Amino acid sequence: MTDQKEGSSSGSKPVIVVAVVWAVLTIATEILLASINFHPYGASREARISDDAFDFLMYLAAPIFVFVIVAVGYTVIFNRSKGGDADEDGPPIRDHKVFTRTWLLISTALAILVIITPGFTGLDELRAEPNPDMVIDVRGERWNWNFTYQDTGVETQDKLVIPVDTRILFRVTAADVLHSFWIPAFRIKIDAVPGRVTETMVTAEKLGTFADDETSRVQCAELCGVGHARMWSEVEVMSKADFDAWLTGAGG
Amino acid sequence: MAIVEKPLSIGTSEPVLADRPLGVLTRPKGGNGWRDWLSTVDHKKIGIMYGVAAMFFFVVGGSEALLIRSQLAVPNGQVLSADPYNQVYTMHGLTMVFLFVMPLAAAFANYLIPLQIGARDVAFPRLNALSFWIWISGAIFLNSTWLVGGGGADCGWFCYSPNSGVVFSPSHGVDFYAIGLLILGIASLVSAVNLITTVINMRAPGMSWFRVPVFTWMMLVTQFLLLFALPVITVALFFLMFDRLFGSQFFNPDTGADPLLWQHLFWIFGHPEVYIVVLPVFGIFSEIIPTFSRKPLFGYSFVVFSGIAIGFMGWGVWAHHMFVSGIGPVSVAAFSLSTMFIAVPTGVKILNWIATMWGGKIWFATPMLFSVGAVTMFTIGGVSGVTHSLAPVDTQQTDTYYIVAHFHYVMFGAGALGLLGACYFWWPKIFGHMLNERLGKVHFWLATIGMNLTFGPMHILGLQGMSRRIDTYSSGFGFALWNAVATIGAFTIATSLLVFFYNIWKSKKDAPNLPDPGPDPWDARSLEWMLPSPTPEHNFDEVPEINGLDEWWHRKYGYDDDGNVVRIATVEEAAQKGDATNVHLPSPSFWPLVVAIGMPLIGYGLIFNLWLAVPGGLATAGALFAWALEPADDPDAHHGGSHDDHEAPALTGADTNEES
Repeated sequence: MTDQKEGSSSGSKPVIVVAVVWAVLTIATEILLASINFHPYGASREARISDDAFDFLMYLAAPIFVFVIVAVGYTVIFNRSKGGDADEDGPPIRDHKVFTRTWLLISTALAILVIITPGFTGLDELRAEPNPDMVIDVRGERWNWNFTYQDTGVETQDKLVIPVDTRILFRVTAADVLHSFWIPAFRIKIDAVPGRVTETMVTAEKLGTFADDETSRVQCAELCGVGHARMWSEVEVMSKADFDAWLTGAGG
Repeated sequence: MAIVEKPLSIGTSEPVLADRPLGVLTRPKGGNGWRDWLSTVDHKKIGIMYGVAAMFFFVVGGSEALLIRSQLAVPNGQVLSADPYNQVYTMHGLTMVFLFVMPLAAAFANYLIPLQIGARDVAFPRLNALSFWIWISGAIFLNSTWLVGGGGADCGWFCYSPNSGVVFSPSHGVDFYAIGLLILGIASLVSAVNLITTVINMRAPGMSWFRVPVFTWMMLVTQFLLLFALPVITVALFFLMFDRLFGSQFFNPDTGADPLLWQHLFWIFGHPEVYIVVLPVFGIFSEIIPTFSRKPLFGYSFVVFSGIAIGFMGWGVWAHHMFVSGIGPVSVAAFSLSTMFIAVPTGVKILNWIATMWGGKIWFATPMLFSVGAVTMFTIGGVSGVTHSLAPVDTQQTDTYYIVAHFHYVMFGAGALGLLGACYFWWPKIFGHMLNERLGKVHFWLATIGMNLTFGPMHILGLQGMSRRIDTYSSGFGFALWNAVATIGAFTIATSLLVFFYNIWKSKKDAPNLPDPGPDPWDARSLEWMLPSPTPEHNFDEVPEINGLDEWWHRKYGYDDDGNVVRIATVEEAAQKGDATNVHLPSPSFWPLVVAIGMPLIGYGLIFNLWLAVPGGLATAGALFAWALEPADDPDAHHGGSHDDHEAPALTGADTNEES
C-alpha cells in the first residue's frame, strides 16, 4: 500500500520515504510483537486457540497501524507550515481512485481473511471434539460458585478441581442474577443465566494450582451486586490419577 | 464558562397592535439577561446552553471517574465500599454518555447546522428549545437520585436484568435510571426530528446533497440513528419501569421471562449509540483537518457514503456484545462477520483524513492538534475493536478491562478529544475571541498523555484477568502496577481539564487586548465562517447562493490558468457584515421550559407518590395547550436589529423559518 501516492504534487520522494520507513518500522514492530507475550498463563487447548488468534490479528494490524502512524508522522513533520499565511495552499487533490480503491480492496480482503481464519476456523476448533469425557454442573449464586461432578454427586464450592487432558463440559446456570463463568487461564467464559443452562468446554493441558498462577481461578465477570469482585474460586488441574483419588476422597 | 451575552436589540418603534394575529396568548419579548436565555428559541443560544451544561456534567462525570480510579489505585482500596462504588461507576457511564458527549455534540449540531446550510434557524425553533429543556430536566432528574433516590443506579450503564429488579436493587437508583433515560430520550427524539427536517428542507438555494458540509452530513446520519434507536430503548425502559414500579414481569426469570430480552433490546439501541457518539466527531475531523491542511477533504463522497454505510451497518452488530451470553453459534458467526465488516467504512475514513493531510501545508493550531491526536487514538480503539469481532478472542476479553480500555479509546480518545478540539475551532465563531493557543497545546498534551496512561494499561489488565466492575482486587492478582499507572493518568486528565477552564477564563480576560479574530480566523471552508464573530442573532444578512462544495472557500479563492490557487477576495470583502435590520426572527417562548419542568415531576410522582405526578402532568399538558394557543408569529416580538420594516422579508428562505 505504498505506491498509490503519485497524485501528490511533491513528486514521488515522499512516497519512497514513507514506504521505506513503513517497511522498516513494520518489520521492527513485528519483531517486537513476536518477542512480547501479551497473554497471561495459558493452561488449556482453548487458550492456545484464543491466543494464536489474537497474535495473528496483531501481526496483521501492525502494518496497517504503522502505516497510519508513519503517514501522519510524515505529514506532521514535513508538511508543516507556519500558519496564517493565507495565500499558501496545498494541492487541491479531491480524490485519487487507485489509492482509495486499493485501500478499500486491501481492507475488505483483510476483513474476509481474518473472519474466515482465525475467526470461523477458531470458532470451529473450539466446537470440535463435542463429546465430553466428563460433565460438571456449575451454578452461580450471589456470591459463590458451586461445582457438581455429574455421575458422582460430588459437590464443591471453594475450589474447582479438574483432571488434565480431559474434555470437560461445563453446564452453567445461575440461581439469582446473571453471573459469568470465567477462567482466565483457560480463556473460556460463558454467562450463567438464571432459568437457562449454557455450555462451554475445555481441555486443560497443564497441571497447576491457583498458588502457581492467579489466573487459575473461576472469576465472575458479570456484575452481580456488591460481592461481584469477591466471587471467585480457585482452580486446580490435577493428573488423572490424582484427580480420581481426590474425587474418591471427596465422596464420589 | 464564559458566555458573551448579547442583549437583544429591542426596536424603539411603537408596537402595531392592530396587526396582532388571532391567538389567546402573546409571545414574550425576550428582554435581557436570564429571561432571554429561558425563553430563547435561537439555535445559537440553545447550542451554547447545551455546551455549558455538557461541560458541567463533564466535571461531574470526571469527578466520579476520579473516585473510581482512587478506589482502584491500590489493592484492597478503602475509598469506597462495594455498594457506593457500583453506583459511582454506573452514574459515571451514564453521565459521560448521555450528559456529556451526546449533548456536547448536540451543542455543535444546534449551533452549526443552520449556519452550515445557510439557514436562519432550525425548522422548529420552539421544539429546539423544548429538546434542550427536556434534556436538562432529565439530566437534573437523573442526578437528583443521589439526594432523594437513596443513591445512584448500581447496575452498570447497561443495567442487565434481573440484577436491575427490585429484589436485587432495592434502592430507587434504577427507577431514576429508567425514568431519567426515558426523559432524556424524549429530548433526543424531538431534536432528531427537528434537525432532520432542518437539513432536508432548509438548505440554502444551490446546496444540493453533495454540497452539504461533512459535519452536517454526519450529524444527519446521527439523527437518523437516534430516531430509530431511541424507540427500542424506550420500550426496554418502559418494561423495566413497569417491572419495578408496578410488578409487571417482563424480565423476571422466575415467572418465565428470558433475561436475554433486555440485553438484546439494550444493545440494539446501545451499539448504534456508539456511532451516535462517534459520527459527529467524524464530521468534526472532516471540517478541521482540511482547514488546517489547507487542502480540500480527500474523497468527500467517500467520507459521506462511508458515514451512511456505518449508519446502516451499525444496526447489524449489536450481538457482538453478547458472544458469551449463550446465544447460538450461528448468531455468533453472523455477528462476527458484520462486526468485522463495519471496520471497512471506518478504515476508509481514517485513510481519507490522512490523505487530506498528505502534501498539505499543515498549520498545527490547537484544533488540528486535537483532531490528529483523536484520529490516532481512534485508530488504536479501532484495532482493539476489531479484535472483538473474533469470537475466540472476544471470549477472553468481554466483560474485562480490555473492553473498558477499548471503548474509552473510542469514547474519550476520539469522542471527547474530538469535541474538545471542536471547542477550540469554533470558539471564536461562538464567542468572538480566540482561546489561548499555548494553553490549548498544554491542554492537548496533558489530555493525550493522561488518557494513554489511564486507558492503555487497561488492555493489559483485562487480558490478565481483571473483570469489569470489580470494586477491589487482592494484591495477589498482579493488578497493582497498572492500576496505579491508570490512576495517575486519570488525575493527569483532570489536570488537563483545569487547564482548559483556566484557558477559557484567561482568554476571555485577555480578549479586549488582542486583535479581533474577524469572521474567519482559520481561513476555513464552510459557510459559518462567512458571518461575523460572534454570529449575529439573525445569522445571514442574505441567504447565500451555493455554487459548490466548500462554498465559503471558493468565495475567497479561485484557480489561475495553471490550476494554482489564487486569492480572489479578502475575508472582509467576501464576508457578510451582519448588519441587516429587517430580518424577521421567530419569537421567544416560555412554554417549552414549562413543558419540560413537568416531566421530572411526573417521574418523582411515579416513584414516590402518584399525587406528585398531578402538578407535573398539568404543567406539561397545560403548557402544550398554551404553546398551541400562543400566536405562531407575533409581529410585536423582537426582530434582529431594529425592526423598522415588517413588510418586506427581503430574504428568500426567511418565510420557511417561521415556527412549528
